[in-house]
Amino acid sequence: MPAQDRNPTNRPGPKEGLTGTRLGRSVLPYAMLSPAVIVTLAIVFLPMLQTAWMSLHDYVLFRPNDFTFVGLDNFIAALQDEVFWISLKHTVIWIGVTIPAQLLLGLVTALLLNQNFPWRPVARALIIIPWALPSVVIALMWVWIYDSNYGVMNDFMLRLGLIEQAMPWLANPKTALGAIILTLTWQGFPFFAVMILAGLQSIPRSYYEAASIDGASTWRQFWHITLPGISGVLVTSVLLRTIWVANSFDVIFVMTGGGPGYSTYTLPLYAFVKARTNLDFGYGSALAVLFTILLMGVVMVYLRRTGKAVQ
Amino acid sequence: MTIYKTLGLACSALAFSAAIASADSTVRFWYHFDNADNPMDELVANFEAANPGITVEAENIPWNSYYDNLYTAVIGGNAPDAAMVKMFAQPRLIGMGALEPIGERIDAWDGKADLLDNLLDLTKAEDGKSYYLPVQYVVLYLYYRPDMFAELGLDVPATCEDFRNVAQQLTRDTDGDGQTDIYGFGFRGGKGGHDHWGSFTLGREGVNLVGGMENDSAAEGTQFVVDLFQEDKVFPPSAPNDGFQETIGGFKAGKTAMTIHHIGSANGMVEALGDNVDAAPVPSCGGGQWTAYGDESTAVLSSAEDKDAAWKWISFLSESGNNAKFNEATGQLPVTKSDSDGWTLHPKRFVDATVNSLPFAHLLPNTPETSDFVNTVWPVSMQRALTGDITAEEMNAEIAKLFGN
Repeated sequence: MPAQDRNPTNRPGPKEGLTGTRLGRSVLPYAMLSPAVIVTLAIVFLPMLQTAWMSLHDYVLFRPNDFTFVGLDNFIAALQDEVFWISLKHTVIWIGVTIPAQLLLGLVTALLLNQNFPWRPVARALIIIPWALPSVVIALMWVWIYDSNYGVMNDFMLRLGLIEQAMPWLANPKTALGAIILTLTWQGFPFFAVMILAGLQSIPRSYYEAASIDGASTWRQFWHITLPGISGVLVTSVLLRTIWVANSFDVIFVMTGGGPGYSTYTLPLYAFVKARTNLDFGYGSALAVLFTILLMGVVMVYLRRTGKAVQ
Repeated sequence: MTIYKTLGLACSALAFSAAIASADSTVRFWYHFDNADNPMDELVANFEAANPGITVEAENIPWNSYYDNLYTAVIGGNAPDAAMVKMFAQPRLIGMGALEPIGERIDAWDGKADLLDNLLDLTKAEDGKSYYLPVQYVVLYLYYRPDMFAELGLDVPATCEDFRNVAQQLTRDTDGDGQTDIYGFGFRGGKGGHDHWGSFTLGREGVNLVGGMENDSAAEGTQFVVDLFQEDKVFPPSAPNDGFQETIGGFKAGKTAMTIHHIGSANGMVEALGDNVDAAPVPSCGGGQWTAYGDESTAVLSSAEDKDAAWKWISFLSESGNNAKFNEATGQLPVTKSDSDGWTLHPKRFVDATVNSLPFAHLLPNTPETSDFVNTVWPVSMQRALTGDITAEEMNAEIAKLFGN
């Protein structure tokens, strides 16, 4: 007679049940996570590995059968490439100016939106518009704003007497990158505003009441209550936005295509142009890998330093 | 017995459905028109009515990323079955194994005799095979504003020196506010502007994209363009980034008094300016004239599922009558003799400028490097030269390096 037949309820014994539950508990999370993990592996990690593999090869798409292993040649070539260094310099300026500008503007906006005033919900809804618009729409809109013949920017500045001649903002290498940074600052500050506003609303009002009773000035309240209260949100938002801004080139691509010359080239854009327009996927991948390593370095340093500061 | 009957019926049903499947094929066709409407609809409807069982899915791809999309689609295994293509892309597409030879089909095709002379030879590949079927052509010439020329008592420039003089005079502040209101020439510094630069540089003695870029004549040509922008300021300040829309838009709006383009813009210009637009061949520079021959063909991609259907569609577009309709939509010139005779779509002055420019019209070199020249090397180095980042000689050296001399 089989063992289970002796157990009329067909339940496992106490020891057996415990093992089963334990096994279930240890396997279940993996089973539940595996679809997401498999999809992530397939659409994120596999292309990443493929990019790293391609970066070690001489691979130009219009010679599809020629896939020669060249080791680190593409990386060495990149480090000796003038355009790589120009693009890296622009990427540093791009991140270094855009993120603080967005953060500052977002912080001021959030502090204003946190005050009580009529139509506050409408103002909160309106502020999100730049963030909600597609990048391409924003880029085209700002191309018209900057237009040297018909743009409102020139018209406005000429009327105010700030400039004497209409400026080709996007066609002048001295102003093109700055003009695009201003566009991206306008697009991205609502993200900071919304995140910081959420952080501000989680700070109990009683802290401020206690501080005012103790005679703390508005500035000291901001420094000792508001800033520590939103520091967690700030760290996360800056990190996320740094990664997004660093990788984004759609606005640049639409507004100038990297021009004039190389004056608005950033590393992701250079990698894109090399791979997609010149079809040089080996070199383009090497640029992308180099940029990823650099960005990872920045993110790790940032996390270490801010982690300590927040603690 | 019943089983056999059932089996027999099932087999017949399968065979029938297979027959239906093979009769129905879809031709995915990519094209690029400056015109934002979809003028292919009528041609597609006519073709489908004449060829039951073939469906055409025609997709208008924006010009600026047309070849990026096409090359990537070829590599990604998602290429269209047939596409509009230019000669400069031919060596690269052949290198990728993306084109289907169509020489035999052309020979067996009724429309061959009606094609304009020499077009099939012009579009032949280096290996002697035919992969392209011409569908339209244009030649670039100078558009100018006769009213502005008359106002200032100027003649149409015949040489580069005349051009410079005329452009300087045409660049004016018309309302006295200290701002320049009209610029002498609308220069295209963005992608596609190599034709403008070419007219001032490539006609000069000893200048050639392959093997003739690092000499004094070539340097003079590029320097001439740079000086027009930097010294004479006869181009709008946005010129380094300007593309098709900006240069043509600027001319139509009266912001520029001259520009270079082909007959494809003529009707739009007449609509905007009436009789105040005229055309002439580009000036002669440094002892020679050079203008771009704007070719456009169609091709069957080697990955096409039904190559016969794809060929039927592209040959349909190059047949008398259909080719006229196609060119009515694109505003360019038909490749068939019967459609060319008595062509009335464009005002005569623009057809004359085209015909008069034909003797010195050239194609870009038929080499794989030409794609990079058009898409990246020329725009980037021209923009850098215009904005003073590099010299004219350095720009020419970049081009020479690309073409390997």
